[in-house]
Amino acid sequence: MAEQGVLATLELAYQIEQFYNREARLMNQRQHRQWLESMVHPDVHYWLPITEVRFTRDKRPAPTPDDGGIFNDSYSDLDDRIKRLETGMVWMEDPPSKIRHLISNVEVFITDQEQQLSVYSNFHIYRNRRQREETNLVGGREDILVREGDEFKILKRKINLDMRVVLDKNLYIFF
Amino acid sequence: MVNVDSLIDLDKAVQSKQVFWDQDIYDQEMENIFGRSWLFLTHESQIPEPGDFFTTFMGEDPIIVARQKDGSVKAFINSCTHRGNQVCHADSGNTRSFVCSYHGWAFGIDGSLAGVPLETEVYYNQLDKDSMGLREVALVDDYRGFIFGCFDEKAPALVEWLGEMAWYMDSWANSGGGAELIGTPMKTILKCNWKVPTENFVGDGYHITWTHVAALQIIGGPLGSAFGAGDMPPLEDMGAQITTRHGHGFGVIWDVGHAIHRNPQNYVEFQQQTLPEVIEKQGEWAGKMYTGHWNASLFPNCSFLYGTNTFKVWHPKGPHEIEVWTWTLVQKNMSPELKREIQKEAIMSFGTAGTLESDDGENMETCTRTNRGFQTRKGTMNASMGLGVEGRHPELPGVVGSNFIGETSYRGFYRFWDEMMRAADWDDVIKNDNTWVDQWLGEGAVSKLPALDAAFKAA
Repeated sequence: MAEQGVLATLELAYQIEQFYNREARLMNQRQHRQWLESMVHPDVHYWLPITEVRFTRDKRPAPTPDDGGIFNDSYSDLDDRIKRLETGMVWMEDPPSKIRHLISNVEVFITDQEQQLSVYSNFHIYRNRRQREETNLVGGREDILVREGDEFKILKRKINLDMRVVLDKNLYIFF
Repeated sequence: MVNVDSLIDLDKAVQSKQVFWDQDIYDQEMENIFGRSWLFLTHESQIPEPGDFFTTFMGEDPIIVARQKDGSVKAFINSCTHRGNQVCHADSGNTRSFVCSYHGWAFGIDGSLAGVPLETEVYYNQLDKDSMGLREVALVDDYRGFIFGCFDEKAPALVEWLGEMAWYMDSWANSGGGAELIGTPMKTILKCNWKVPTENFVGDGYHITWTHVAALQIIGGPLGSAFGAGDMPPLEDMGAQITTRHGHGFGVIWDVGHAIHRNPQNYVEFQQQTLPEVIEKQGEWAGKMYTGHWNASLFPNCSFLYGTNTFKVWHPKGPHEIEVWTWTLVQKNMSPELKREIQKEAIMSFGTAGTLESDDGENMETCTRTNRGFQTRKGTMNASMGLGVEGRHPELPGVVGSNFIGETSYRGFYRFWDEMMRAADWDDVIKNDNTWVDQWLGEGAVSKLPALDAAFKAA
């Protein structure tokens, strides 16, 4: 995602930061359904590409959604993931694990698409499970947010996870 | 050398818990199993052009697999012959040489030492470059595009190593234009012993009904209604479990290859178009295999789900950790759109963030970690389900369990693990090639799996 448009005003940037803080809180409270229905656009594309370690001289193009992804999700895919959690029969989440999203480096740009914002942010996701299992996932997000009245919705999210080998047993979480 | 004589009780089908934990057993596995077995390297579709390379592991040894100028494939240990530095740090690419980052030694894609900086000035032309190429993996071959390597030149040929398993795999590896792996592999760690996922994929139809119940309820379809909603068909009509020489094995559920796909219409249509080709080449039983859903492992550390079409290698990283590498398996004649559809469903279910993958990882880690306890690992694990009701089948090769849910393939896997761990060399293994079924079953044991006519009637 190229930098597009002009930097948002202080007030708009503040609104977006609060949007992300709310999103993080819903995740941490396991309110996935509320997150999906109140913060995600029905046409969302939610994508975590699989990236290789390549030499600088390697001219092959970066992956596109056609190359697949650890997430390559539509709204209904995200809905399926959440429905699974809602069955009450996901044994690895019972007892539930703890998760904490720290969101930073938020840059908000007004785009030439009316009502659309282009936003960069970074995440540090801490997971703690069972007695003493812990993992840390660090990376960045490239979002397109859409304004709908007083609210915003996530229309696109590209997640860049800063590790080749995922140093965690799975990524059954939301970024 | 560790005493491996009493780790596996073949008659009772129990295994010492030490096999998931002890460092000395692991070290012996590196020598006897990873040092002697054919190990999956990559698929030819991942390195199509001369100069294409892919880096992987055989056991814990770092390996470069490279397509040669003449189209053949070679594999080398990814370690400089000067001071041992790794010479290639990329996952894949195309190159004319691998240049070591330490002193700049350059190796050709054929592994030969092509360039040494200051060779004349500092080695006075006394360096025998011809003998200092990258160490080549003794045997490299492919079976229908699946490239394997083996460190032991006395091993049987790859086609013999796969043996009767190759006949079963041909139903999809030799139809529809053949099979290929697509995409960049996902890589994840699991803190488990490498045998835990291998044994799970080789023979665990049992856990599907419980471990994956949440995901299957959401996916729906035939497995969703059978396992997710408890509407189980009669077991003897459901499928089969089969193990072949060298510890390979699989379980198959008839007619539901597409079961984990949420919108399988295009996939089912392709399978129905291809099915006559399979039957013409290999007969009706192969057709039954082609439209089934498989959980399978190739000894020692390669597994796949045919139908769901996820393909995995479990790279050992010490006795208590693995790297999971995951590709998507498709048939070449599928349209690009269908391949993408299958890839999406394969990753949604058994990718790093998969709805079923995450169920398994937890179990695999805990099955390993509990054995940290000294008293715990004095105990044994049990794989006796269906013991005594497996046998020969008049129409199917290998040892055939009597229904899909059983542990026949677990037993096949651990019987061969035990054989390899105790063998002095390959001759010690080859001598059992014609007698392994008799040694296991005695004479006369016959599988209760129905014959072909009955199986089709059930479907």
